[in-house]
Amino acid sequence: MRTLLKNGRILDPSQDLDQVSSLLIEDDQIVGIGTEVAQAEVDEVYDCTGMWISPGLVDPHVHLREPGDEHKETIVSGTQAAAAGGYTTICCMPNTNPPLDSPALVDFILDRAASPESGGVFVAPVGALTRGMRGEELADLSALKRAGIIAASDEGFPIQNARVMTQAMEFCVQLDLPIMAHCEDTNLTKGGSMHEGAMSAMLGLKGIPRSAEEIAVVRNCLLSLHTGCQLHIMRVSTWGAVEMVRQAKFLGAPVTCEICPMHFAFTDEHVGEFDTRFKILPPLRTQVDIDLLVQGLTDGTIDCIASDHSPHASHEVDVPFEEAPFGSAQLESAVGVTLTLLTHTGVLSPLETINKLSTKPAQILRLDAGTFRSGESPVAQVCVIDPNCEWTFDRHKTFSKSKNTPFDGMKLKGKTMLTFSGSEIYRDALFSDDRYLVK
Amino acid sequence: MSRHLLGIRHLDKDQIETLLSLAADFKLRVIEDKPVPKLNKQVVGMLFFENSTRTRVSFEMAAHYLSMKTANFTASSSSMSKGETLKDTILTLRYERLNGLVIRHRLSGAPTLAAHHFGGPVLNAGDGQHEHPTQALGDALTIIERKGDLDGLVVAIVGDVEHSRVARSNAWLLSKMGAEVRFVGPKTLIPALPALLPGAVFYDLATGIANADVVITLRLQKERMSEGMLSSIGEYAAMYQVNKDTLRYAQPDCLVMHPGPLNRGIEVDDVAADGERSAITSQVENGVFVRMASLYWAFTQDEARHDQVAEE
Repeated sequence: MRTLLKNGRILDPSQDLDQVSSLLIEDDQIVGIGTEVAQAEVDEVYDCTGMWISPGLVDPHVHLREPGDEHKETIVSGTQAAAAGGYTTICCMPNTNPPLDSPALVDFILDRAASPESGGVFVAPVGALTRGMRGEELADLSALKRAGIIAASDEGFPIQNARVMTQAMEFCVQLDLPIMAHCEDTNLTKGGSMHEGAMSAMLGLKGIPRSAEEIAVVRNCLLSLHTGCQLHIMRVSTWGAVEMVRQAKFLGAPVTCEICPMHFAFTDEHVGEFDTRFKILPPLRTQVDIDLLVQGLTDGTIDCIASDHSPHASHEVDVPFEEAPFGSAQLESAVGVTLTLLTHTGVLSPLETINKLSTKPAQILRLDAGTFRSGESPVAQVCVIDPNCEWTFDRHKTFSKSKNTPFDGMKLKGKTMLTFSGSEIYRDALFSDDRYLVK
Repeated sequence: MSRHLLGIRHLDKDQIETLLSLAADFKLRVIEDKPVPKLNKQVVGMLFFENSTRTRVSFEMAAHYLSMKTANFTASSSSMSKGETLKDTILTLRYERLNGLVIRHRLSGAPTLAAHHFGGPVLNAGDGQHEHPTQALGDALTIIERKGDLDGLVVAIVGDVEHSRVARSNAWLLSKMGAEVRFVGPKTLIPALPALLPGAVFYDLATGIANADVVITLRLQKERMSEGMLSSIGEYAAMYQVNKDTLRYAQPDCLVMHPGPLNRGIEVDDVAADGERSAITSQVENGVFVRMASLYWAFTQDEARHDQVAEE
């Protein structure tokens, strides 16, 4: 079986490759890139004229909710949503019920992800850093690593005790395991539901100050500097957090960080009249933060873009603002939002866009993905994006079980058209039949 | 589209004036035992998810004067205590054909959610730290009775502004009507970034109430001490108590107001609370008439009828 992706803009940041060319997949492997492969004898041809052909996207931050919260999302529905978003490798978070703190649960997730009904993307589990994510005793990290976790994190239950975090980092240095940290001083965020600012004051909602995030960023960066532990900071949201990461990198700490689309798409003003779709942690900040986050994206301080796909059921979010959970479905909007707000505005070049969405997160978490270089991915992982496709996001047309998204009804420019993980795992309805030819 | 009273923030000056003139008219009619409009086919649900005596009784009296029927709910006796969501409670009441709702809730924005799911008018009887619109209307009517007009007055709101829905509703109403609003209190109890709230911030009581025509004192919740926002009641009283001494800085005929219940000896002393400058009992009395106006305004959308009532 030979499949040709013909005449697209090949973008592979791992080789600094940006040229109009074709890509040939034989069986489940990429066997050639170049104008000459277009002449090869093939079984099927996808005409990718005007589109980008990139390594399958890599999402370092996804909540699949299984086991325990299958009413929000399952591994099957979540991986299908990922495939539709252009992702071929996703990292799933450990805040399931029970938390992902035992090797048996890692096995369960990998089995479910590999099942035929799932979306066909690679799932790389992130294990709990402490037992039960209680921030007290370390989880059995060596056993978890043998079972297949690619990083450890206590996600939404950040370790408050600096001694515990230091010990976790020391152990992870020994295990050569990255730590992913959601940065939050919970004494400062207790009871808060949105950014502490003019909007929270007006709405009478308890605010979450920038300092709650920044204090934890500084602490974790310093601990990373002193222990040498690889630290990936999840979803930075304030200008101060970006500046702290910039300083930590300058000092030589092995630190990286991510941003999620919500934080460059919206400000606290979007909460409007208590709209729970805009409730996220860390909270939506202000335009000043967005401007400096964008600068951080441009200068490389912010390494990558994570979806922070945090699905919830509709009945859970149709409640008073303070009772609503944080987060929303993001996998199927991330590409469109990123291209609309960062690429088409000139903040990121196409190559840098793919770098932030694929190559860089794969490098940070040492995943076999994010590149077209031969032998560096188990199977062909390819994403085809039409950067000029104008469409309106419709939450009822998504694969995710969660229909809770602030992007519903938004006009976007740029859409995932095809996703390959070995073979085709997603083809968009907007990908014209005329472009697909079986020989 | 139903007309809701969710907050003063959402009203314009004309709407506020309409409500206040309706209230003044109803007051006259009730006192002189003249007929008031009858909304006697209307049933209003009184949903008090948070304890309240004065607001609840006041709304019930208002409904009584308008010949409305009321259906009562409390959080402890309702199905909310069985785990029902607010949305489902509201939908149930909608299909039991209640005509309107009055809601008091501990969470900011709860009446907004209710309005979204309920067919008829929804009136906010106080939500979290967000708004308490009928309290502000009652206070405004009281000030107008004593001062003639709101335009140009200096009004100091003293105390725990951060946690006060009364402060927010009053600030919106008074500023929209042309008064100068000041927030006075310790930095820990004033929003960190009050820029969207219409008022200037003062941390010093003497400066904040200097030349004030009206001083609205807010109730100090004792839990602010345990939360570390204040050192002690004594220190708060020493710095922010409205009393005979501190009122010297305000205008000689300055009105002293308080939404109740009072902590005598903490935010206000007996002289200020019971003296001739106190308007606290008028606030309570006027609460009934502004709630009549609010119910009438929300239940009858025809603007022409309001003018007619006023002219009758």
